[in-house]
Amino acid sequence: MFRNLPQIVWGFRTVSTLCMVTMTMLLIALMAPVSYASDEAINHVGENIYRKGILSSGEMLEAKYEDGGLHMTGADASCVKCHQHSGLGSKEGRISIPPITGRYLFHPRASSNGYLDLPYVEGIRPDHEPYTDATLARAIREGLNSEGKPLNYLMPQYSMNDADMAALIDYLKRLDHGKSPGVTDTVLHFATIITPDADPVKAGGMLDVITNYFAVKNTFPIGATPALRSTRKMMFMANRHWQLHVWRLSGPAAGWQKQLEQHLVEEPVMAVVSGIGGANWAPVHAFCEQAAIPCLFPNVEAPPADADQDFYSLYFTKGVFLEAGLIANNLLKQDSEKASQVVQIYRAGDSGEQGARALTALLAPRGVTVRDSVLTKDMSASDVAKALRDVAAGEVLVLWLRPADLASLGNAPDAFSTVYMSGLLGGLERTPLQSSWRKHTQLAYPFDLPEHRRVGVDFARGWFSIRRIPVVDEQVQADTYLACGLLAEALSHMADTFVRDYLVERMQTMIEHRIVTGYYPRLTLASGQRFASKGGYIVQFSSDKGRNIVPTSEWIRP
Amino acid sequence: MINRQCVLITIVYLFAMTAYAHNGEDEHANHHEMQQKATLTTVDYTLPRIKLVRDDGKTVSLPDELNDGRPVILNFIYTTCKAVCPISSQTFSKFQSKLGDDVKKVHMVSISIDPEQDTPERLADYARKFKAGQQWQHYTATAEVSVIAQRAFDVYHGDKMSHTPVVLLRAAPSKPWLRIDGFISADDLYQEYKTLISAQ
Repeated sequence: MFRNLPQIVWGFRTVSTLCMVTMTMLLIALMAPVSYASDEAINHVGENIYRKGILSSGEMLEAKYEDGGLHMTGADASCVKCHQHSGLGSKEGRISIPPITGRYLFHPRASSNGYLDLPYVEGIRPDHEPYTDATLARAIREGLNSEGKPLNYLMPQYSMNDADMAALIDYLKRLDHGKSPGVTDTVLHFATIITPDADPVKAGGMLDVITNYFAVKNTFPIGATPALRSTRKMMFMANRHWQLHVWRLSGPAAGWQKQLEQHLVEEPVMAVVSGIGGANWAPVHAFCEQAAIPCLFPNVEAPPADADQDFYSLYFTKGVFLEAGLIANNLLKQDSEKASQVVQIYRAGDSGEQGARALTALLAPRGVTVRDSVLTKDMSASDVAKALRDVAAGEVLVLWLRPADLASLGNAPDAFSTVYMSGLLGGLERTPLQSSWRKHTQLAYPFDLPEHRRVGVDFARGWFSIRRIPVVDEQVQADTYLACGLLAEALSHMADTFVRDYLVERMQTMIEHRIVTGYYPRLTLASGQRFASKGGYIVQFSSDKGRNIVPTSEWIRP
Repeated sequence: MINRQCVLITIVYLFAMTAYAHNGEDEHANHHEMQQKATLTTVDYTLPRIKLVRDDGKTVSLPDELNDGRPVILNFIYTTCKAVCPISSQTFSKFQSKLGDDVKKVHMVSISIDPEQDTPERLADYARKFKAGQQWQHYTATAEVSVIAQRAFDVYHGDKMSHTPVVLLRAAPSKPWLRIDGFISADDLYQEYKTLISAQ
């Protein structure tokens, strides 16, 4: 619409210049919202087709395969499932799925990638006739490429009307805007987020690791990177300075999202890496999804349990929700005769409350009576032992408590034969649990066992030592180190294609190949999988002193 | 443990299809070439004595599940797979409807290659999506056991994203397996099945 504006304005030759300017401004004022709204609407239709498989009529997109009998509908038929959020394609087995954003479809023919002025992605096809809107519509409807040859078997044929087709093609043209914010020719900007309810000691440990990691990363020779346009140049790393921005949030959680939006305006970043929260990470998660910014492996105890539905936030585990699953699984299988009455102790508003709720939701449908003994936020640690007074003999006790509270429990009454505790909140094998409790207590342990993870963590431990980083919380700091390492590795797979969505997609593809996985036995992700480690153990102390633990369960995947 | 012998390449299905014009510089050219064909081989596999967890939550032995006398048709899938598995599972779904009354005589087996994600509950949901009948079960395992199962049938490629479409057919216990690499239509799969059974 704007392209026609000069002709419209020049049509009023008899009108004075001043009048023309006034009218031009008026026209722009009148036209802009209309144009914006209509483009938005088209884009929305295109996005719905691409991502959800829903046509403008509200009907499901239908995909038919060459075989004739096979068909998919709705989300299963959507473009995103193969061509990805970024539109930059993917690889499954031996099948490479090409990028389908405008600049990859409409570029002039090139005999090789070296002659193509486009960022490298795996499925790139340099030597094809450029698509036109007409041949692209034919590809989508009939499965023929720009040269009239059949597309891969995996590419179905779609039925849609001309308006929907135009909206989809328009969406493909807009899908890839090139480099993300936070990316310059020489610098990649990242943020790390610290919420005010995060443990200050752990937050300090996290920051020590991440700032050191960035400093070490930036000691390598860095300069303007040559554009990666040829096989020979591909040998260069897309090496850029990493700039870390620390976003410390303040005040009540209701204001965090606004603070984050402000930070992003002031310091545009490509992604958020690591970071640390307390009981409430939901506002940060929501910000990442809304701002479409990758948030990679923050240290959080209670991530949104339904994050699998989302895209931009990746977590190492489900934290206390995983622990609830481990305890429920063990309780129902190992102690089924004892599991009829359960009492949980937690601090109101802390992560333990969410763990306790999750455990109740798992046990109640199985006929287990669960009741909670809640410590108020301001109750002093010395009063914690009082919460135990009304626990009856024979009840299973579950402690969702932090080290200071656990240290104040006093001697364990003999009546408690079965006690579970959150290892994550309680400090794992370093918990200050008193010796009289240790023989009764089993820990939910959402990590690999110490002897199994020795190699994976030793490297980080050695690095902390060389860098003179005080180890204040090994698990948090090892996770931070792992998050940084995963970011570096994913970026190294991306060449110079610094696109936010593509970073998430590369991460979910490469993470399964990672051998050194810190506190976790293995890490896997996929579309629809946002928690990389899925299980854990139930463990107990091997004696009433020391940190030696032994598993009382196999690896449990709740 | 793995004893396989490539006996005979019987048929190569050619699909009229596939990607783009290729030249020598396209590193994926060969890959597309391979995807154009469903290659059939006859192979002996030794079944490892491993425990799997069925989609009804029951722990079962792989040899016991496969050696109950029924012909077996087997594939490997994962439930969050977006490109290859939905096609493979829909082919299975269509194959089962072609069987008609014979459906009861067959055992269809889908084993997860992403076992930690694919709990029995998730597999049951996935099975419902593809309208799996009583003769079609989905199985998970520990991560280690899933790899043993994949290696036993020579479909292990290191990670789930590297998987390739494979269907395995066996007429009866102690008989060799017919291995189909690549995409095969439900019609062709049904024909292969009939040929294999009638040869008994």
